[in-house]
Amino acid sequence: MGNGTEIDWERCWDKESLSGGECPFIGAEDAELLGSRSRRFLQKCCECERFKRDIRSFADTGHPLATAFSVLQTECSRQKAQIETLANFLDTKTLEMRFMHELGSVLQSSVDLDEVLSIALTAITAGKGFGMNRAFLLLADRERHLLKGHLAIGPRDAEEAGQTWKEIDSGDQDLQALSQSFRYKKLNSERYKFQDILEKLVISLDDTQHIIMRALDEHKSILVTDAFHRQDLDREFAALLGVDTFLVLPLITRNRRVGAIIADNFITHRPITEQDMRSIETFTFPVAFAIERASLYERVQEEVDKLRQANIRLQEQQEQLVRMEKMALVGRITSSIAHSIRNPLMVIGGFARSILKSTAENDLKRSFIESIVNETRQMEEVLQEILTYSEAMYPTSDFWDPNQLVESALRDIQDRALSQDYRCQFHPADNIPTVFIDFKQTEYCIRNIIISSIDGLQNGIIDISTSLNHDYVDVRIVDKNRILSEDELEAMLTPFTEVREMGSGLNMALSRSMLEKQNISLLVVAPPEGGVTYTIKLPTRKEENHEQTARS
Amino acid sequence: MSRLLVVDDEANIRLLYSEELSDEGYTVDTAATIAEAVEKMGQNSFDLAVLDIKLKNESGIELLQKIVKERHDMPVILCSAFSCYKDDFSAWLADSYVVKSGDLTELKEEIKRVLAKKAQRRASEM
Repeated sequence: MGNGTEIDWERCWDKESLSGGECPFIGAEDAELLGSRSRRFLQKCCECERFKRDIRSFADTGHPLATAFSVLQTECSRQKAQIETLANFLDTKTLEMRFMHELGSVLQSSVDLDEVLSIALTAITAGKGFGMNRAFLLLADRERHLLKGHLAIGPRDAEEAGQTWKEIDSGDQDLQALSQSFRYKKLNSERYKFQDILEKLVISLDDTQHIIMRALDEHKSILVTDAFHRQDLDREFAALLGVDTFLVLPLITRNRRVGAIIADNFITHRPITEQDMRSIETFTFPVAFAIERASLYERVQEEVDKLRQANIRLQEQQEQLVRMEKMALVGRITSSIAHSIRNPLMVIGGFARSILKSTAENDLKRSFIESIVNETRQMEEVLQEILTYSEAMYPTSDFWDPNQLVESALRDIQDRALSQDYRCQFHPADNIPTVFIDFKQTEYCIRNIIISSIDGLQNGIIDISTSLNHDYVDVRIVDKNRILSEDELEAMLTPFTEVREMGSGLNMALSRSMLEKQNISLLVVAPPEGGVTYTIKLPTRKEENHEQTARS
Repeated sequence: MSRLLVVDDEANIRLLYSEELSDEGYTVDTAATIAEAVEKMGQNSFDLAVLDIKLKNESGIELLQKIVKERHDMPVILCSAFSCYKDDFSAWLADSYVVKSGDLTELKEEIKRVLAKKAQRRASEM
């Protein structure tokens, strides 16, 4: 058994303090270790070759503590390595948390869909973010029941990648600045750049076998590897992306399928790990929520705009109605007075003419009677002028909302239709222009057509729709219940002809005649298999002399 | 000779029409109300009716509709102050419209024209 003096110890590790340069493993940055033996020992000596050599020499002496000491030294090194790994992991997680916090703050502050999408895709591809090469965003189109490619980000080839990443590295921008830069400078160009891929990224929401739909249905991200050889993956889909490894991240909020993100390392081919997937996964919920919120906000804005427009139109029409009512009132009063005067005037003038006829030419009183006739004629002429003026005060043709026209007509016949178990289904077209019509007359005609259609029948459906057709808005009334022969159709459009229970005295001929006076055509089609379709073509433009024609 | 029904709520107007149209050779019956007109139509067959639109508390248009529905071979001439007919589009169902005037020339001409048209229609149906 040997002792300490027989070993050629380095023993630098045993010194209470060291001077600068004495230990090659302690640099200026670790200078504080020079004066602390315990810290120096744990942090540096255990890994130092000199110390290890001393341990080996000690073991060679066969001292009973040598083996235990060696085991302790090995365990110390192992635990130190583990602590370092955990510290690195903690650092990474801290960075991730900071990034997620930044991302969350930026996403929460935006209700603009383009901004949200820019943030999401920038976060996935930015080096400061998740550092993927490319990202594709697909959004759900619920009306068409599809998932469609909407936006993409990333380089198409290595050259572009080098250039882009160099630009990003040269500017020390945070996530918000990067996403703003993307949104205003690159959003459209990136969309155009990836158009060939985006337009092929169309997946039915019912295609449960598709990898993206599986991720959405199972509410979990999928790391796809060996894409070109997998049996459960559409080869065309893999070929479209051009990579054999990619991530599929579902975007879901409250069980609603918002969309999905596909991310890959198309340029660097850096392997994507489960850990990468877990990291990115944590950010998909706030992104999905932000997209959903921005989409809803967009829709709310659209509805607010529509309401605003409707309100403006309503105000205009209310003003028009007030004006119309005032004018109509003046017209009615004038007309009433004139009517009261006209009757006695007519009796005076009429009897004067009768007396004049039976009065001899040489009768001295004849000139008196002639005076009465002439004076009453003059008064009748004045009366006529007043009546013509009051008539002119009734508003005639003006620009009106065709949907409002139909709704107004339907309101008037609602009770009658209900009493006959008839349903009038109105399908108004969106965003159609106003039409130049006499509202009162045209509404009367629409009402008349519907009443004639349901007259004498029980329990049926009338479909009414409006649609823009070049310079006209077509009001189409479809009566599916009635069957008319050619003769009956012709008879229906002939004045004073009744057609099997359809003639209530106010027949179709009257409506056609009234519409024609406004230069509005009424087309009636009754195919042999049944049903009658009435099409009223309302002009969107004010034709020359139209108003005069309408009034004549 | 044709038989005419004149409906007007003013007694003097009924008298005037009766006198003037009788002079033209027509047989003229008069009525002041719709009920009276309906009763007379039940008793006699008329070739034409001359209706005033405003009949005290009633509307000549109501009678017009009744005639068009039940006696659609009987022409109707509406006779009233201008503009009133525009309040009710059903007035457009009438065969003619004449503005009330002390000078009955226009009314007489319209009666002749409408009766001739009716005769022509009948001839073509036979």
